[in-house]
Amino acid sequence: MVDVAHGKPAEFAGPAPSPASRLAPYALPIFLVLMIAVAGIISPAFLSANNISNMLLQAAPLGIVVIGQAFVIILRGLDLSVSSVMATSAVIATSFSGQNADVLPILLIAIGIGVATGVANGLLVTKRSVSPFLATLATMIVLQGIRFAYTQGAPSGNVPPLFRTLGSATWNGIPYNIMLLVVLAAVFWVLLAKSRFGREVYITGGNPTTARLLGINADRVTIVGYMISGGLAAIAGLVLSGYVGIVDNWVGRGFELDSIVAAVMGGISLAGGRGGIIGGLFGAAVLIVVFNAVLLFGLPVQFQIIIKGIVIVAAAAFYVRRSR
Amino acid sequence: MSATVSIGSAGFSRSLKKNQGIVVVIALLVLLLVFGGFVSDRFRTTNNVMNILEQSTGLALVSLGQTLTILTGGIDLSVGSMISLLSTLTSGMIGGDASMVAPVIAGILLLGLAIGLVNGLLIIWLKVHPLIVTLGTGAVLQGLVLLYSLGPAGKVPRGFTYLAYGKVLGIPIGAVVVVVLFALVGAFLTYFRLGRYIYAVGDDDAGARLMGLPRAKVILVVYGFCGFCCALTAIYLTARFGVGQPYTGLNYTLASITPVVVGGTLLTGGKGGVLGTLLGVYLISLLNNVLNFMDVSTHYQLIAQGLIVIVAVSIYVEKRRRV
Repeated sequence: MVDVAHGKPAEFAGPAPSPASRLAPYALPIFLVLMIAVAGIISPAFLSANNISNMLLQAAPLGIVVIGQAFVIILRGLDLSVSSVMATSAVIATSFSGQNADVLPILLIAIGIGVATGVANGLLVTKRSVSPFLATLATMIVLQGIRFAYTQGAPSGNVPPLFRTLGSATWNGIPYNIMLLVVLAAVFWVLLAKSRFGREVYITGGNPTTARLLGINADRVTIVGYMISGGLAAIAGLVLSGYVGIVDNWVGRGFELDSIVAAVMGGISLAGGRGGIIGGLFGAAVLIVVFNAVLLFGLPVQFQIIIKGIVIVAAAAFYVRRSR
Repeated sequence: MSATVSIGSAGFSRSLKKNQGIVVVIALLVLLLVFGGFVSDRFRTTNNVMNILEQSTGLALVSLGQTLTILTGGIDLSVGSMISLLSTLTSGMIGGDASMVAPVIAGILLLGLAIGLVNGLLIIWLKVHPLIVTLGTGAVLQGLVLLYSLGPAGKVPRGFTYLAYGKVLGIPIGAVVVVVLFALVGAFLTYFRLGRYIYAVGDDDAGARLMGLPRAKVILVVYGFCGFCCALTAIYLTARFGVGQPYTGLNYTLASITPVVVGGTLLTGGKGGVLGTLLGVYLISLLNNVLNFMDVSTHYQLIAQGLIVIVAVSIYVEKRRRV
């Protein structure tokens, strides 16, 4: 009942689609497969088990952030604070202990910081009617300041070995972090596509007035959306720290834009009410494949940025055409 | 927000609302000035005032362009990359050769204008939100400048720094240019038809379209001007630092939005003006200056800046569009 790139429940579908637009939701998966095929032909190393395993490792943290970003964007919002949440929660949570025995409290502290940031974002957006862009921009700056003030510029925390395994090790070539992504994606897909709360998210994002008339507490739904985004960003921050091996002041730098690019590419409309988690994850996959291919083809790394820029505008233009 | 925008006359209630925000910013400025005087004797020196004016010039120039894009309900997230590219090209192409200064400055100003126009054209043609379009062009420009150079490029002749450190009647030349430019743009926004259209497009895009206003022209003018302002900023910063490098503008993308918002211009468009932005620039520069005198580390200055944005946007509550 949920199409891939467009994850919206079927009852929201418009008039009967033409054959061409029937195919359109699958444009991104088809594009991804084509890209992988072309990259594999140009450079056989691309399809080596090692490289694929490597790409999955890199995709997991981004994917986790994209899930949260999906909730917020479907709610007509945008979360620029995710990268700041990733670094700040990881830096503060690991500053107390880097031992395996303390993994649970570390996780809880990190998620607590992320969720608290989400509450602040949500309250600013709903109760003070601040635009999501500004609200999350402000919390991003404040978190960054808190992080630097807390560490005095030099973070001292260590990554518990368990997180290092989770972030960088594989089981028969399958990274543990991609397993975590799959589990999280499944849980939040059910929440978004199958639950009453998910339906409220789509209605609130699609048309806040309708939501009000239906008796939905739109403010509460929106705040919870930002909490999910903050919490998932905190988890992604720990996973990425595990991949890098150290807790850095700039863990997750650039993830705020990459996650938005992935979501938009995956058909999640910035106008709200459209798209789904699976589309967003395909967007993340395309992004990672592009980044990987650029390096594998021996192009200067700068092309990653240039292609990212072209891709986000092209994808947004594609979906604007489709929605009319 | 009614569709019948009163074009040509500002409307009494609107100008009152606009001034309300400006009064708050002025009050904060005065408060900071008095407070700063208590904090340190050196704060009150002419030298320090000149210092604040010098430090605020780059931010003021880019924020001027950003104000116009935000007034139309848009935003330009490519300003940081544009400044990086244009400043690197400035010192890279001059290469220490005094005879190259004039042609390069002219070329950089034209290039800034051209990049801004490309932003505008993409926004009009693709019908994609400016946020996404300029995010994309910003990434492309950042990639291009890094392809051009990975570090500081070229150098400028000694006399070039006059643009940043020279003085007119004892006042830094940049500060004079800023005030003149802001006054010109302010007059344009108030007294020219196209200036009023900028408010109309930002206030009610669909309404402006229905009334047959030249929406495309407004978008082109606004983004073209923003690109031009980025070129001015880039030239100023190159003069100030003596060289351009590919990350000169990095912080300016977000920094350029703060004074606009603090000055009372709404991100949803249609409300605000350049006077508020200029006061916002001075407020932020003054705050950083006072915090410096109090020996507050830059980390806390960052927190203060974020909190200012939160307080400002909470004061000027943005009206939600109800269908």
